[in-house]
Amino acid sequence: MSQFLQQMINGLSIGSVYALMAVGYSLVYSIMNFSNFAHGGVIMFGAYFGFFGMTMLKLPFIAAFALAFIGTAVLAVVIERIAYKPLRERSAPFLYFIISAMGASIFLENIIIATIGPTFRTYPEVWSRSSIAIGPLAIGRLDLIMFGVSAVSLTALVLFIDKTKMGKAIQASAYNMKAAALMGVNTDRVVMIVFALGGLLAGIAGVFFGMKYTVYPQIGNITTKSFVAAVFGGLGSLPGAVLGSVLLGIIETLVAGYLSSQFRDLIAFVILIGVLVFRPTGIMGKATEDKA
Amino acid sequence: MDAYLEGIIMLSGINLIAVLGLSLLTGFAGLFSFGHAGFMAIGAYSAAIVTTIFKLPFSLGLAASAIVAAGVSWLIGRATLKLKGDYFCIATLGFGEAIRLILDNFQGLGGARGWPGIPPHTALWNILLLDVIGVVLLAHLVRSRHGRNMIAVREEELAAQVAGIDTFRYKMMALVISAAYAGVAGALLGHYMTFIQPKMFSMVKSTELTIIVIFGGLGSISGSVLGAVVLTFLPELLRAVDKWRLVVYGLAVIGIMIGRPRGLMGGFELTPSSVKRWIADRKDAKTAKADRMAEDAGNGKDVR
Amino acid sequence: MSDILEVRGLTKRFGGLAAVSEVDFSVREGGILGLIGPNGAGKTTIFNLITGVYKVTSGTVTFQGKNITDMEPYLIADLGITRTFQNIRLFKNLTVFENVLTACHASASYGLVDSFLRLPRFRREEKALQEKALELLSILGLADRKEAIANGLPYGLQRRLEITRALALDPKLLLLDEPAAGMNPDETEQLMRLIGDIRDRFKLSVLVIEHHMDLVMKLCERIVVLNFGQKLADDEPDGIRGDKRVVEAYLGGGDE
Repeated sequence: MSQFLQQMINGLSIGSVYALMAVGYSLVYSIMNFSNFAHGGVIMFGAYFGFFGMTMLKLPFIAAFALAFIGTAVLAVVIERIAYKPLRERSAPFLYFIISAMGASIFLENIIIATIGPTFRTYPEVWSRSSIAIGPLAIGRLDLIMFGVSAVSLTALVLFIDKTKMGKAIQASAYNMKAAALMGVNTDRVVMIVFALGGLLAGIAGVFFGMKYTVYPQIGNITTKSFVAAVFGGLGSLPGAVLGSVLLGIIETLVAGYLSSQFRDLIAFVILIGVLVFRPTGIMGKATEDKA
Repeated sequence: MDAYLEGIIMLSGINLIAVLGLSLLTGFAGLFSFGHAGFMAIGAYSAAIVTTIFKLPFSLGLAASAIVAAGVSWLIGRATLKLKGDYFCIATLGFGEAIRLILDNFQGLGGARGWPGIPPHTALWNILLLDVIGVVLLAHLVRSRHGRNMIAVREEELAAQVAGIDTFRYKMMALVISAAYAGVAGALLGHYMTFIQPKMFSMVKSTELTIIVIFGGLGSISGSVLGAVVLTFLPELLRAVDKWRLVVYGLAVIGIMIGRPRGLMGGFELTPSSVKRWIADRKDAKTAKADRMAEDAGNGKDVR
Repeated sequence: MSDILEVRGLTKRFGGLAAVSEVDFSVREGGILGLIGPNGAGKTTIFNLITGVYKVTSGTVTFQGKNITDMEPYLIADLGITRTFQNIRLFKNLTVFENVLTACHASASYGLVDSFLRLPRFRREEKALQEKALELLSILGLADRKEAIANGLPYGLQRRLEITRALALDPKLLLLDEPAAGMNPDETEQLMRLIGDIRDRFKLSVLVIEHHMDLVMKLCERIVVLNFGQKLADDEPDGIRGDKRVVEAYLGGGDE
């Protein structure tokens, strides 16, 4: 039993980081209806920003952390301006966005390899690696902090979208971009804010991911799993993205713990296919009725 | 021939087969797949089993690669073709990755470390032969009622349905045929490298295939041929600046999407008749010009 | 004469909203039936239900004595019901000829292998298809435009092409959804004659949704009036003209 609880806690903590990333996919999908595969690259940059902030610039953790998420917010917006805005302006089909995103993703990954090299790098220790014992359970400090920061960031995001004027504009655009534009919403700014928000969370996730594992150029590939989580929960739905991520995190940890760690990655894609076959709109996604 | 050059020609010939298949699915039936590398993997492993384990001839291996890939695609189609466009696309992505990860964990076939010692059956002649067959069959298909029905699905699905076209069946047909092409390409690749590894068939490979189809121009077979050749050679030419190769490639992809989204050929097809027509148009233009000049001369004007 | 299409108790709800409720009518073999009513009365929804694009909530659609309720659209088309769309749906990037040729597909039966290898059967049947498409185009007066891209045709010709494409399936019942929308009086007049001609020539029955009152009154032998998803009247043109409820709901409403 205690082993099971332990797995649940580990799963929850990794799931919360997935949630930070999945929300980025979902936000963009809700507005622009395409899967932004460059998001993984942005997360990877976040991990590097934080790493070099601490090692090369010798910044304290908090400053390096801020550097990372501000950097990725800017990066996400820049990518949108270059790779998607021209497509948006001539309302290209969704596939062109996806391909352009793939191009951006290839670019981001390889510019790191070309300039910094493909080596794995380990974050300097910020918190002691020893874990906190609660009865028979051991919780890593990093896991606890990860969970806490993710929860706070996600709550902040929800409040922003629910309570601010800009948040309302985002909701309106997600419902119907053209109608929102007619109602006087500056949709170009909405898109910018959405990418900035997604980028910001990506930076936070990247730093934690780098701290938990290591930093390397292909780290973006792992983040594909957070995309799976977004689909699992229902693309375009923020609560869905969070729920899907947490569930995926827990399922993955349980599979790794009880079956074999080799199936850890596979299970994500099995879930993806299962969801698409049996409930393509995911757990929280709303079904759309086709209009003739 | 220079062995290096021959190698690149062979690689582009192999790529071409997979691209032709994807061209049918994407360019003609209008469905997008990010999992075609998965079908290549299935083809590569099926053919390798036939030739390496059962020691049967390569031709049987090729046949097996096409059949197994087509069969698997049929199952996937049954499950996912009813989904709307972008979800189908995501499903193929998930499937492609799942295939790769299953192979990664399947130690019987070498697992993630790969499977060496596959006989080197692939040669320039059999690649080129299959390329020609692949182009001819595809060209025949798209100019038949079956091909036209696929195009109708791409153009306007609802109108196709009320015109009596079983859109599900034609999407399935396009998917199965394109998977068979990808399977054969995988088999050729395995017997060219004499080594296969799940990593060779990642999502990046699937993306690369889609990029080639789009680069060549949707709905153009000659565009796909041109795309496969140019985009296989281009990275090789960029090898001098090796580490920057993929950086440039990524930028080029974005550039194509925002600059020339219709691709090189943009629906135009290079066929004997279209070349004839083009030449005829030029001739007409020339005779027209000559006529004008004669007329001008007849009117007593200066001939310039 | 017998009825070719019979609609009984047809109902469609979207969420809680009834777009069509308890509608009955029938189309006589060889007849032209008009379907009129204000915007949102449920006319196009009825088309979508008959052609299987929407699933019905309740009620039945019977075609030539066969229950076709909720069949797949392509099977319904195979049985002999085709339609046009209010917002024209052509195969936009194809030529006029290709649009019609594609729709001729059911007149051939060669298989995939015949196509791949261009076997004699392919050549023979393909030739017949091309001839059929050309013949239809010349009957409908589009032969000189056959190489034009559908999308680039003037509006009136696009409508005409859509009708040609529907005829390529050798239908027994043709559903026309506002064929005269956006046409000037001259074109409307032409279209009216065209509909009458093709009915006689192809031995069709026609069900037409239309807003041009004079067109409906002159063309149709019988008219069904819908309002808020319900049938208001079902009579011959003269009867409709004198029906008070119809005049209130529709004709006199200043909508036309």
